[in-house]
Amino acid sequence: MEGKNLITKNLTRNKRTIEEINNKIERSDIQVLPVSEFKKIVESKGLEVAFNEIDIVTTGTFGAMCSSGALINVGHSDPPIKIQNAWINDVPITHPGAAVDLFIGATLSSETKGFEYGGGHVIEDLVKGKNVNFRATSYGTDCYPRTEIETTLTKDDLNQFILLNFRNGYQKYSCAVNGRDEIIYTYMGKLLPKYRNASYSGAGEISPLNNDPSYEVIGLGTKIFLGGGQGYVLGEGTQHSPSTGYGTLMVKGNAKNMSPEFIRGASFTGYGPSIYIGLGIPVPLLNIEIAKKAAVRDEEIFTEVIDYGVPRLGRPVLRQVSYRELKSGKLMLNGREIKVSSMSSLQKAELICHELASWIKKGNFTLTLPIERLSNQGQPKPMRQIKGAAAFVDSILHEAVTCQENETIEIVAKRLITKNVNHIIVTDSDQKITGIVTSWDITKAIANGVRTLKEIIVRRVYTASPNEPLEVVAKRLAQHNISALPVIDETQKVLGIITSEDIAKLVGGNLNG
Amino acid sequence: MVRMMLRFDNEKVHEPVTSQVILEEKIPINIMSAYVNQQGGEILIDVESENAERLAKAFRKKGVTVDVPKLIEKDDLKCTNCGACVSLCPMNALIFNADKSVELNEAVCNGITCGLCVDACPVRAIRLLG
Repeated sequence: MEGKNLITKNLTRNKRTIEEINNKIERSDIQVLPVSEFKKIVESKGLEVAFNEIDIVTTGTFGAMCSSGALINVGHSDPPIKIQNAWINDVPITHPGAAVDLFIGATLSSETKGFEYGGGHVIEDLVKGKNVNFRATSYGTDCYPRTEIETTLTKDDLNQFILLNFRNGYQKYSCAVNGRDEIIYTYMGKLLPKYRNASYSGAGEISPLNNDPSYEVIGLGTKIFLGGGQGYVLGEGTQHSPSTGYGTLMVKGNAKNMSPEFIRGASFTGYGPSIYIGLGIPVPLLNIEIAKKAAVRDEEIFTEVIDYGVPRLGRPVLRQVSYRELKSGKLMLNGREIKVSSMSSLQKAELICHELASWIKKGNFTLTLPIERLSNQGQPKPMRQIKGAAAFVDSILHEAVTCQENETIEIVAKRLITKNVNHIIVTDSDQKITGIVTSWDITKAIANGVRTLKEIIVRRVYTASPNEPLEVVAKRLAQHNISALPVIDETQKVLGIITSEDIAKLVGGNLNG
Repeated sequence: MVRMMLRFDNEKVHEPVTSQVILEEKIPINIMSAYVNQQGGEILIDVESENAERLAKAFRKKGVTVDVPKLIEKDDLKCTNCGACVSLCPMNALIFNADKSVELNEAVCNGITCGLCVDACPVRAIRLLG
């Protein structure tokens, strides 16, 4: 390990050592507070007094943590089986190792109940002590002859039941909104059209990594509260992104000792199952620098408001926002006030801080320092794509034929013929969309003796934006049984049109090429 | 205030029953939501408590079904107080208490005429009634 990373080389002189802190815990003489209460003392009495009075603060968060699961060992059957495929309560369980080691992925869905029951629910049911149905199949070998097995299990029947999360405890997370004209269902919850609500995640100033942003006391080997039991930090989580302030943790803990109060299966409509996990981390106030960082407030922690309506990797950032504003319930966006709420539980996060503080106070939980620090630089790379790059609307977008509302049906009909198109987009003087008229609408109008264009304009227009994948817009065309979509920008201005013919040509071209 | 659900069958939908009742009884009502389909229609209204009984009678006399509905139920034992429902509620019927727990105020909930929160609950603690 690099010497400069060692905690003992810290330039600030420590007031207390971890040994002194643990001795005080054993003597029931420790001063420990939930971090929210510590911040209040800092505010009223100042940092120095707060630091002198308090030895440890406790942090917590309770959020949906999709990159989670549980490693189980189900024991050997007689005759033994080398499990190839397995299910618990009809949820497929992955098989990463030898014969009977299995991994319950939190986001895998039941083959019979779909999104309503998944790996997260299986973990919750096992934690609760429920009986679950287990079945497995295999091809049979000389050493593992059995090819099928079915039984019921509880957590007591498992040799190991270890909660293992690749990525957990996000320092902060983006706040999601939706600029599309339809509701979307995401892992950030249900988002109303046209930026009518916002959803965020993370506990802000009481969340673990925000109180130790340079990762001095949280690292490999830090003992933690996990799901109501005890666990450890295993190092940085996947997609750990310290350079952008989105650090993550990988954690594990013995799930047999966890509590359903802090481990909850979840179903996100239109997205799939997941799991809510309670995570609590103590921060020992070894020196005043660490105490100062733990005094951080919500108004100093910023994240980004992001348009999840744009189905791309790089979604547009609409503004910066503090956790103070997010927690107020109201968010200013495009000059309008919209409602914003969390989808991680602040009430549970606070409860975890209190619970962990009471464990420490009772002498049931001593602290450890990291034996290896988390990296404090870097950010994840996108996937390297070598072929089959996705096509987007802007690649086939072409100029639209437009008209204005006060034009006559005859003129519009002539324009459709001369331009050889079937769709004409109605715009106002600023080129903003107000409706659409098709050649079929014109035909009907003539057959029915309708005289003015206004009467036949279709006002409810489905549209596309230039950076949507063609896959998504093809679905929209089919879903609404229509053959073209005006392409507009965020101000409703018409940029062009795409038709189902364009998409068909593209697919045909691909087949030939 | 009392919240009432008025249900019209597919024939009653074509008659101006609501305005007739308002004119005859001279009771002001506040329409919270309304919709019509092939089966009939529903109007959710608020009315002053002292007028509620007289209004319900008047509507029933004209063949309208009147319910004082409990609209949405939140199972507080299941609820994790995450708040995924809160920003969706157009009526501010779902709010955060001071202790950050989520509370449903049934008195202002629009119930089945809205239902935006129901499928947004990750632990399925919210249920539509009737």
